[in-house]
Parts: sequence; structure tokens; C-alpha cells
Amino acid sequence: MTTQDAFDEVRVGLTKLLADLPRLPSALRVEAQDVVIELTWDSASTSAEPVTRPEVPEQRDASLHHVTAPTVGVFYRSPEPGAAPFVEIGSIVGPGDQVAIVEAMKLFLPVEAGNRGRVAAVLVQDGEPVEYGEPLIALEPIEA
Amino acid sequence: MFRTVLVANRGEIALRVARTCREMGIRVVAVYSTEDRDSQLVRFADEAVAIGPAPARRSYMYAPAILEAARRTGADAIHPGYGFLSEDPHFAAACAAEGLTFIGPSSSVVSALGDKTQARELLSGAGMPLLPGSLKPLADLAAAQRVADEIGYPVIIKAAMGGGGRGLRVVHDSAHFGQAYRETRAQAQALFGDARVYVERYLATSRHVEIQILADNYGNVVHLGERDCTVQRRHQKLIEETPAPGLPRETVERMGQAAVAGALAAGYAGAGTFEFLVDEAGDFHFLEVNCRIQVEHPVTEMVTSIDLVAQQLRIAAGEPLTLGTVERRGAAIECRINAEDPARDFAPAPGMLTEFVPPGGPFVRVDTAAYQGSRVSPAYDSLIAKLIVWAPDREQAIARMARALDEFRIDGPGIATTAGFLAETVRSSAFRTGTHTTSTLMVAARPLAAETV
Repeated sequence: MTTQDAFDEVRVGLTKLLADLPRLPSALRVEAQDVVIELTWDSASTSAEPVTRPEVPEQRDASLHHVTAPTVGVFYRSPEPGAAPFVEIGSIVGPGDQVAIVEAMKLFLPVEAGNRGRVAAVLVQDGEPVEYGEPLIALEPIEA
Repeated sequence: MFRTVLVANRGEIALRVARTCREMGIRVVAVYSTEDRDSQLVRFADEAVAIGPAPARRSYMYAPAILEAARRTGADAIHPGYGFLSEDPHFAAACAAEGLTFIGPSSSVVSALGDKTQARELLSGAGMPLLPGSLKPLADLAAAQRVADEIGYPVIIKAAMGGGGRGLRVVHDSAHFGQAYRETRAQAQALFGDARVYVERYLATSRHVEIQILADNYGNVVHLGERDCTVQRRHQKLIEETPAPGLPRETVERMGQAAVAGALAAGYAGAGTFEFLVDEAGDFHFLEVNCRIQVEHPVTEMVTSIDLVAQQLRIAAGEPLTLGTVERRGAAIECRINAEDPARDFAPAPGMLTEFVPPGGPFVRVDTAAYQGSRVSPAYDSLIAKLIVWAPDREQAIARMARALDEFRIDGPGIATTAGFLAETVRSSAFRTGTHTTSTLMVAARPLAAETV
């Protein structure tokens, strides 16, 4: 990837991030190594109100089931860094199958599928913070 | 006395330290990670400095940022609280090198007592009763197995640099020793960056009793009595109380004297805790020394009327101890209310607190940095609040604690707490009669978890 490509990708990512926010921040800092993205809002707008996230389009598709975050934490797709993800798009999973990890307070909590289905979409990037109940993985139901 | 103290911590303990500083007329500097920018401490402090992102190793454990914040704000001392850098001898030494007072024992004392094998060796020389076990880190599996076979099972394998109930394993027979030895070493390396372990006899039905001491820089050491921390789950303390139920005062006095002798032998200065196990015969055995203010220090404060953080500050500023005879009144209990779900095997349950209404009433103290609308961060530990009560005797203290726990209202999306579990525990007959041990309540926790699933 050229520097220009990388820059474009970051720009597209940031534009999407900003579009998803309920309010534009007053400052945005991006760091490359270990990836730090820091958003700052003016104190007037840093109220303690829970930030409502915009609904992910897939969520509106009534035919899909969603595996949701069991707790607030950080989402991981693989059992350890560098390992293969628990599931890929198209993977078939059954109830109780582990599909991801959410890390909270230094503990790794397994995220399990509730239904049988085919993975239609992974809705969160690896290593991203997630809120309680946030849809993580969309499953397309399949007949048993 | 110090003019400006930087509090190198977060959450309830940082706020608790800052409050005493304010009462003593000391300027307070807070440091915070971006995750904590809306914290009560940041609002409370005279000055607050951002030191990094949420992960502790890049903020609260990142010494260069903290030292730079101290330099920039003109702080003359650093209070490390508990956890994070509080027992890091390199940080204590770095403070000294920068001309800052580290509020705690000297770097060399923290280093000697932080290495559990070194502490065992040093204190055994001062007549401290130790559990049978190794006095030095074990060279290899064969050497470790020999020690274990010799002292008899069950044994516990512990990380030399461990503490806080992490990096240890109980082994019930010789056949399982090898695997447990390898696992503990791997875990010790991962948690503490040091794979060395030691072995000692494991007391399955014991009580965990610790002695609070204060020592100044002039050879004066006093003990402030005991705290019973027998109610634990997976070696994590849940409830602490004083006096220890059913423990003869004569035993407490002997433990106190052992702790004072140990502190003198180690050249200790500051507030410290000597942890012991008391076996079924009533004999006590040294576990470890904690070179910091402890989570459960308020129960001692409640019965002695002594502000332990104020004493830490005075000692660090070079004042001699002037406590005279320490008198103790009544009984105090502390419950740790954690963002954990007892119905899901105490899995973390952090998140936004849409409801947070602490209990009140006479002789009820709540140490917390939480408030309605604040967020229990998944990046740090699960402690939301410490609920402490005092009463003239244990029975009344239990009734008060049960009432206060019932009154505590905490809720939010994904939030679960240990408050209900704790209320059941303090009402249990084992706790009320004081006949519980370090293993009974862990067992009692399981059926409860199963029932509520």
C-alpha cells in the first residue's frame, strides 16, 4: 500500500467515524503505532448522558439475528493476536458456539451465538470498544 | 508538610487521598487517563494533568508521564494509592532521583518485601512464624517437587513477585504438582514479568487476618490492631472487618508484636500491612507484607479514629509518630461493591450508571468515585464503591451493613453488582456466628450463582 493509499484509507475511515457521531468533536487526534484515536468535546457537551449510537443498517433487516455484546468492553475476533478469527463471513455457527471475545477488566468473556446461522456480517472492527448489548455479528438463519 | 501532592491513582482511593490532602491544606494535583477525564477527582483537584490513554500501562503505570506532571505542577510529593505504581521500587527510586517524596516505604524496603521469598527469608530472621515451605525461589521442578513432598499436601505455589491473590495455585497431590508448577510459572511471567515461584503449605480452612502498622523514620512503630479478611472469592477479598470474630485478644496482641518486630527488622517507614493466616488451632502464620495503603484501611480508621492517609503524609514529611496508646472502639465492617455479576460466575459487568444512590444514615461511610451518570470503565478494576459501617458491637454492625446494602441502588445497561450477594453473605449463619473460613464462603457462592441463572 502506498502512503497515499494509506492516507486515503485513514481519511475515509475518519470521515465515517465523524459521520457516525452524534456531535462533532472539537479536536481529533490520530496516532499510528498501537492506534490511538482520541476525540475531545468541549466541556459543555461532555455531559454524562449516554451516547446513543446510530443504528447499524443491518440491524433493521428483520431476517437477521444479532449476536450482541455481553458487557461493555473491547471486541476481539480471534482467541489471541495473530490467530485465525473465530468466524468469517459465511461461517456456519450453532447455539453456544464461540464467535468472539469481549475483554473487560482484564478478563476475556466468550461471546456465543444464540441461534444457528450463517455469519452475514461482522459489525465491529477487531480491537474496538463496544457498548453493552451492541450488535457484534449478524447471522442469517438457516434451516436445521 | 508538603505544599503540593500529586495523586498517582484513580477511582475511590485517589479521591479519598485527595480529600485528606485538602483537609490538611495541601494542594492536590490529579493525573488522569483520557478515560477518566470526567472523574470526580479531576473536578475536585486544584490542578489536573492528562497523562495518557485508557490502558494503565500507558497512563497510571507510565512513570515518565507522572514524573513530568509532578515537575510541571511543582508537586513535592507523590501519593501512589494502591495498585498501579504503589509497590514498584523503581518508581519509588525514580521519585527520589527527581527530588520528589514517594509517600510509602523506601525503594529498597519495597524491593525486599515485594519479593515474597526475600521477605520470608528476611522476616524469619526476625522471628516471624512462617508456614512450612521454601525460603528461596526454587531452582527447578525437581527441587520444587522435593519441597512439596517434604512439607506434605495440599501445598500452594505462589509467584515470588505476586500479590493481590493473583499468580497462585493450590495442589492437592504429588501427581498434579508438575503441571501446576509449570502453569504458575507461566502465569507469574505473564502477570509480573518474573517466573520465579515458591511453595508453602496450604491451609484450606484458615482465617485471613492482617495487622495494620504505622512506622516513622525514627524507629517508632505502632500496630493499630487487626482486620479479618476471611470472606474471599478466588483469593479476592470481599468483606473485611475488625475486630476479628472469635480471635482471642491475646493472639491479636502477639500478631501485632510480630508485625512491629518485622517492620523494625525491615527498616519500614509509612503505613503497612502484615498479612497472616490463622489456622484451626489458633496459631498464626505470616503470608506477606503490603507496602501501601490498603483497600480495606477504612475499617481500622473507623475503630481507631485515626486517618491513615494523614499519618502516611505526616510520616513521609518527616514528622515523628505521636499517636500514644491506640484505643479501639466498637466494630467496623467493609463490603466491596464490585461491577460483577454473581449470576454469571462474577463476570465483569461495567458500564454507564443510570442510577447510583448510595445508602446513608448514622455511622455509614461510602468511599467511591462513582456518581449517577458516570461510567464504570472496563479498562480498570471492578470496584464501584466500598461500603463501611461502624457500630458499638459486631451484631449491630452486621444489621447496619445488611440494611445499608439493601438500600444501595445501582443500575445501568449491562450493570450488575455484588451488593445482593454481599447482603446474603452478611446475613448467613456462618458469617453471623463468625465460623466461616477462607473456603466456606467461596463454596457458598456457587449454589447462589447456580440458582439465579
